[in-house]
Amino acid sequence: MAGAAAVAAPSVFSGSANVIAVGVLLVEFGMFRQALLRDQVRLYAAQSTLISVLAVVVAAARHLPDLYVLAGLSFALKAVIVPVVLRRLLRGLGGRGEGPGWTDIADSGSLSLATTVLVAIAVAAFGFFSVAALGIHSPVLPTTALAISVAVVLVAFVLMIMRRDVASQAIGFFSLENGVSLTALVVAASMPLILEIVFLFDLLVAVVVFGLLIRVHHGRAESLSTADLTRLRG
Amino acid sequence: MSLVLPIPVVQVLQVATIAAAAPGVSGVIARVEARLQGRTGPRLAQPYSDLRKLFQKEALAPQGASWVFLAAPLAAMTCYLTVPLLIPVLTTFGLPLGYMGDILGGGFILSLASFLIAVAALETGSPYAQLGASRAKTFSAITEPVILFVVFTVALVTGTDLPYALAATVRSSAGQIVRPAHLLAAAALFMVILYETGRIPVETHSGTNEFGMIEEARPFEHSGPYFALLKWGSAMKQLILYTILLNVFVAPWGLASTAQAGSVLLAIVSLVAKAAALGVVVAVIDNSFAKLRLFKITEFVSAAFLLAVLGVFTLYLGGG
Repeated sequence: MAGAAAVAAPSVFSGSANVIAVGVLLVEFGMFRQALLRDQVRLYAAQSTLISVLAVVVAAARHLPDLYVLAGLSFALKAVIVPVVLRRLLRGLGGRGEGPGWTDIADSGSLSLATTVLVAIAVAAFGFFSVAALGIHSPVLPTTALAISVAVVLVAFVLMIMRRDVASQAIGFFSLENGVSLTALVVAASMPLILEIVFLFDLLVAVVVFGLLIRVHHGRAESLSTADLTRLRG
Repeated sequence: MSLVLPIPVVQVLQVATIAAAAPGVSGVIARVEARLQGRTGPRLAQPYSDLRKLFQKEALAPQGASWVFLAAPLAAMTCYLTVPLLIPVLTTFGLPLGYMGDILGGGFILSLASFLIAVAALETGSPYAQLGASRAKTFSAITEPVILFVVFTVALVTGTDLPYALAATVRSSAGQIVRPAHLLAAAALFMVILYETGRIPVETHSGTNEFGMIEEARPFEHSGPYFALLKWGSAMKQLILYTILLNVFVAPWGLASTAQAGSVLLAIVSLVAKAAALGVVVAVIDNSFAKLRLFKITEFVSAAFLLAVLGVFTLYLGGG
């Protein structure tokens, strides 16, 4: 690379925003590995917190006071209420004398972890390069954050496909929504607040529905694994 | 103090600092680790005493081992003495021999040393030494791509792959520090260093459990001064890698910008202090995590690979 032009450093604001967005993506990758249901829910809460932090950073740097409200609401809902609701709904699924939250979802991946990560890297790369080809530029956040948010959505799909336990699949779906909120923050930071709030409550409905589905599945299959679901009729 | 050192003296001091401070840094880590476990632990100078003791002992070679077995520790030590010439150990400006090789060049010399030690381990015919050599080579093959991507990131950030250039870039502005590519590359490099220096979660550093050994098993058959050279060499490799992480990526501050005796002295002190601080972090990690099973090491490496690749990705759109 000698003689090639160096990639100029972004400003401190976009650098930090990108770092937070990368953090969201890394948490998504972390969900491939978590072995306990409780930790998976915690990772989701951490990811939601990161997105709220990013919203606060954008609000402060770009003078969009609406975003403070959004950040507060999204933190309250996604980092506090959703995990609590999930934990309530999934209480007592452990069985075999395990305490609540210790439900084991280890090794539910259909491929080995290293292979899964490589597949997810390839999929994330597709997201990155396709966003670059689209040429969307946002006045609020750098394009890299948009590319990362698309990568989050795609990796969430990989998570739902690769992990064969209902809990990870549900959490993969919720984190997909996190990826979408990140995208919304990049391309439509000044979206009307009421719309954002509607989306947030939509999520709450999804959480309750998924929680019930997980309970029903557990009641029938006696486990969180979907590996046994091979017949079309129950 | 306005005594200006001749440049060749500074160049020699780079190597001498690494060689002299390396066992001390290992001593700091061992001590901190012991204190965290509630033990008193060895003295800070214990590694020096160990080396002195080993240098006074008789050297034996297994029957059938050729000259390679005895030459390898010397050759590896030569490699470890060469690398400090290439990296910014004490100065912000490149010393005359500093441009002999770039980051990849330094990496090649380090892997040459590791290759020579592996060959010597194969010479012995001892199953544990061979097992260690074979594992070390297997896993270094999968950490290699991580290092390559870290180098790519450095190359994209600075337009060159000289370590001095990256250190200067990092010092130039706050924007260079918070950019994700820099943080991701530094984190990936740190994970590779944990692997290369045989630390938890890859390997227990001080244990005697042969089944989990990788790097530690290789010098099993060496003895006396040759074993001392290997131990000293691995401590030097550790300090060299710490120096690359600290003086190039994480904290390239405190280096001498002139050849004045005072600032060079300050640079030596600050390097040792920074390396000791990093050693404390490594000791805390050592005590906080369990060793990964051998076949789970790929997971650890895949995480490092993920960080390094994401670093290049973020640069691709100009936002890293």
